Amino acid sequence: MSTLATPETSRPVGLARLSFANRQALSGYLLVLPALLLLLGLVAYPFFFAITISFTDRVVGEAGHWVGLKNFRYLFNQPSFIKTVTNTIVLVVVADIAKLCIGLGLAVLLNQAVPGRGLMRAVVLLPWAMPGFIAFLVWKLLFTPIGGGLNLILTDTGIYTGIIDWLGQKSTALPAVIIATVWRGFPFWAISFLAALQGVPQELYEAAKIDGATAWQRFRHITLPSIRPVILIVTLMSSIWTANSFENVWIMTQGGPSDATMVFPVLAYFGMQTQRLGEAAAVSVAMIPALLILVFFVTWLIKDDD
Amino acid sequence: MSDRSSRLTQSRLSRRQMLGGIAGGVAAGGLLPGILQAKSAPALIQSGGKLTFWGGLIFSDEANKMLTDTVNAWGKANGVQTDVVMINQNETNQKVSAAVESGTMPDALDMGLDLLLLLSASKQLTPVDDLYDKIGAAQGGWHESVDASLAPAKFGGSRNGIPFGAGGNVLFGRKDILDEAGITAMPKTWQELSDDAAKAQKPGVFGMGFALSNVGDGNLQVSVLQSYGGRIADDAGKKCMIKSAQTKTYMEWVKAAWDKKLFPPGATTWDGAGDNTAYLSGQAIFIANTGSVTIKAQEDDPDLAKSTIYSALPAGPVMQVSPIGPNVRAIPKSTKDVARAKALIEHLTQPDFLKEYYKVAIYGPVLKDQDDFEAFNTPVLGGLRDLVLHDTPPGAPDVYNTAYADFSANFVVPKMIQRMVVDGLSIDDAIDEAQKQGDAIYAKYA
Repeated sequence: MSTLATPETSRPVGLARLSFANRQALSGYLLVLPALLLLLGLVAYPFFFAITISFTDRVVGEAGHWVGLKNFRYLFNQPSFIKTVTNTIVLVVVADIAKLCIGLGLAVLLNQAVPGRGLMRAVVLLPWAMPGFIAFLVWKLLFTPIGGGLNLILTDTGIYTGIIDWLGQKSTALPAVIIATVWRGFPFWAISFLAALQGVPQELYEAAKIDGATAWQRFRHITLPSIRPVILIVTLMSSIWTANSFENVWIMTQGGPSDATMVFPVLAYFGMQTQRLGEAAAVSVAMIPALLILVFFVTWLIKDDD
Repeated sequence: MSDRSSRLTQSRLSRRQMLGGIAGGVAAGGLLPGILQAKSAPALIQSGGKLTFWGGLIFSDEANKMLTDTVNAWGKANGVQTDVVMINQNETNQKVSAAVESGTMPDALDMGLDLLLLLSASKQLTPVDDLYDKIGAAQGGWHESVDASLAPAKFGGSRNGIPFGAGGNVLFGRKDILDEAGITAMPKTWQELSDDAAKAQKPGVFGMGFALSNVGDGNLQVSVLQSYGGRIADDAGKKCMIKSAQTKTYMEWVKAAWDKKLFPPGATTWDGAGDNTAYLSGQAIFIANTGSVTIKAQEDDPDLAKSTIYSALPAGPVMQVSPIGPNVRAIPKSTKDVARAKALIEHLTQPDFLKEYYKVAIYGPVLKDQDDFEAFNTPVLGGLRDLVLHDTPPGAPDVYNTAYADFSANFVVPKMIQRMVVDGLSIDDAIDEAQKQGDAIYAKYA
């Protein structure tokens, strides 16, 4: 056969044997490889490691044994578990809605040509720039029942002269933590939205104005759709950060009173007090499904936009 | 467009897909449990020739500085490069967990009894029986209570730590306010205390400055419960027994005090400094404290320091429970040069150093020769010495074991009180819930 007659040495060797398309694909994969390795090493490995140890009785310094769902059964039977789930959801949802409203409102305001805009943009960032520890300590002091700033204001203005134990009673503890969390987190939303707003072509607004669109209609039909992907991403990121936030609750209430502010990270921290890594990991793993649903939902929305 | 380029276009990620992917990646990263974050905490790598020591921070800058300087001076004198890191004692557990997992434990460190118990159970510590015996023999012997607290049977058959100070609580009272109310002596029982508190209390000043929150101070209530005859577990330390008539009596006492508003607002969410702050700001008449309040009052408010009187913790209807908790220095198994670590720990037990250190610290004596130190002539530190001499062993009348430590670390008793006073649960329901939680905890160690 003629093919057999072709000398071996004349065949392309190594990479040269690949078609142009395959060579290009290969180089693409090679370029992506470092990022992939980084993702695998820093994200995937610890992630799956945490899931694995949640099924073991591992304590600090010991390998542990497979115990199946024992840690999860222990967790689900804890009186604080249901409250932890509820509190985490309420904290994330309410804080996100508040941060969205405040952040969007401020971003729209700071996007206008108003005097002192540069200074205002810098000032808005202050809560975000402040170390969380300090920020939540300040809020704790503000909510202190005796001598706390909030009660002093209420007393001095004559609005209420009694003592409100903001962090010590069930009805106000979680709202107080949410307020502090929103205060600390809204600048990220505002600045992200502001950056997105600056990318919206002015021509769209001008055309809409000419067509007689009101300010609300311009906001509803131009601004919101234009920055929708950023809103989704910021919502996703902030939800994850809030669900994983520890210092806000720990500094202000340690999860109390009576678990009124107990959230997953604080519950995991209590697990760590006795060095039982398996139990602590189970707490963290228990909230993965909820966060995964959120992640898939938002990425689906983003994909849907495409 | 060719087939190939069409395929390439189809497989290319859009900007939004990329954003979604990154967000997903961040999400996965965000899900990592705190324990793994802790694992990547700043590590203190033990390099050759360097000795790392983690000291426990206390509310006395002078004492902290003295300890640091002494370790460094010892290093200089012995040609050892020392690295002293003072650790907030509320975080020692987490830092140690991270260090054990990442293999970056220091050469020696300070810790409380709970952590000693946990690390001994997982065999993370080097036995120091020889050093323990040597120091004891040289300084009049260890106090019986301290010696019993560290009995090898509880810690895997060996002495795994060298005690350097006995912690415990003394009752502080505002003499000026008590005098105004015609109360001339410190209360002998918890019932007397709440009665005195109710009598002396006035607007803005609350009688009972005791934490009911999820912090170590909140576990003072375990001792009060025990003094009422309540028990955490059975005599074998295997089964939770918190549900009892005695616990109910104790809870009735707490409820009565709460209803009379004897606890300051915020006591259910205080942090570790809550009672200190309440007392130092004049909002509390009685508190239980180790002595840090005295140090602060002497510095910032000498009048308050002068008008403070001290006594042992009151008794309940059944007994007086006032446990001591020896603080120890231990050597991790991972330490490369055990001899050097032992030499440092031995140096830190030298009377010349401790005579001065105890004056500014918040500890009672652990060795019999230390009883005569000038430091223990003061009311608070003298009170701590009395505790050591007539103490209740840690956990007693319950068995101090890992289940008990777990029970304490989960603040079951303070939470039982919170359920009652915050959620409005009946006493019986609150106790039932605590029993259920206690059952689950003790079952883990059965």
